[in-house]
Amino acid sequence: MKNDWEPKIVAFLCHWCSYAGADLAGISRIQYPPNIRVIRVPCSGAVNPLYILKALREGADGVLVSGCHPGDCHYLSGNYFARRKFFVLHELLQWLGIEKDRVQFSWVSASEGQKFSQVVEETVEKVKKLGPAQKLVKEFTFYV
Amino acid sequence: MFEQEIRRKAKELLEVKAVDLVIGYTSGSLPFQARPTLVSSPEDTEQLVWNHFCSPNLARYLLPYRDSSKKIALLAKGCDARAVVVLLREEQFPRERIHIIGLPCPGIISKRKLEEKLGEIKEEDFSWEESGFLCQGKKWEIDSFLEDTCVRCRYPNPPLWDDLIGEKRESRGSSVDYLERISSQSEEERWQFFTQELSRCIRCYACRNACPLCYCKECFAESDVPRWISGVPTLSDNSFFHLGRSIHLAGRCVECGACERACPEEIKIGLLPLKVEEIIKNSFSFEAGLSLEEEAPLLTYKENDPGEFIK
Repeated sequence: MKNDWEPKIVAFLCHWCSYAGADLAGISRIQYPPNIRVIRVPCSGAVNPLYILKALREGADGVLVSGCHPGDCHYLSGNYFARRKFFVLHELLQWLGIEKDRVQFSWVSASEGQKFSQVVEETVEKVKKLGPAQKLVKEFTFYV
Repeated sequence: MFEQEIRRKAKELLEVKAVDLVIGYTSGSLPFQARPTLVSSPEDTEQLVWNHFCSPNLARYLLPYRDSSKKIALLAKGCDARAVVVLLREEQFPRERIHIIGLPCPGIISKRKLEEKLGEIKEEDFSWEESGFLCQGKKWEIDSFLEDTCVRCRYPNPPLWDDLIGEKRESRGSSVDYLERISSQSEEERWQFFTQELSRCIRCYACRNACPLCYCKECFAESDVPRWISGVPTLSDNSFFHLGRSIHLAGRCVECGACERACPEEIKIGLLPLKVEEIIKNSFSFEAGLSLEEEAPLLTYKENDPGEFIK
């Protein structure tokens, strides 16, 4: 039973680059594991750290956030702000003892279909190593 | 400890109508406690006190006056004044409406620590001196009775004031503080520690309500759309709340420890915002509440910010 387990990974992809990169991977028929569930966001800077925590709370085994390379943001600087926010969140999660490989970040441009598939492969591999998420996952209650 | 000077100053400000209100401390209903008080007439300034138990962060009591036009004076220890600086920086108040009576802080004594070390304590057994006190026929240094956040305090002097009462103090800033004790443990031990601590949280939100910088009109913890967490105090939702709160305080927390002292379960809840401040200080060399000009760390960026964690 345990061998059948496949991680569920929520991927927040920037509309202007990584989402198009994922699209390119699709139309170029590049294979990547089917474990990610894509959510399109206008910019990686629009990803509230609470979205990441919420995804983990709702039972995602991992979270991937992907945006434009530094300097290439459609809104000029959204990804720079994102980088600071994610850095703080990443360090805090690690300090608390929540596996930091569950939350991953990448820069993928619209022309990097190949890189997108690699990023997904790596992410899935790392999350698989960690096993199903235990920490932060909501408990069953009668009220919710 | 300059109580008379404080009363005189408050009286003077109210008499000449330089301010409409003075926020200060008065003795609490129980011994070894001081509570916040609002004084609006010169006669009432006699009730003001200033001692080692003046723990609440008075910047919190400014917030209800955000939308009024009253001019307000408040007594400010180092951390209170830093919180005021953050509030001014975030344009919650115009500078002209706030009159800061700065008080270099000798450190706040924890009643819990007194009880732990001295057993049952009565107010009449104590006689207070400049750097310590006499009790049970012995002289005690206050250092071993200070609140955890005061032990690590690096800014006992207000960074901004209109009047300063008392002499400036040396920063304590003990190098072995409770944040470092936790940080030296392994990741797994830390997780064990936080699970134990956070599972005791009853989510009364006292920490949020005591915090001078938690002033959102609607807190994410209680928002219905989107509904981030349920109201039930389960471990996952408690962790979510405290993680979310410390992220909201990133680059803003002034390390006053008001959240921790407000906690009825005595959870070391200040550790998370303190850790976030440490990350920000080490990586972006910024400390909250020290200057009115410096840009908040998460509202700015540099091209060479740390980015190795991003693939």
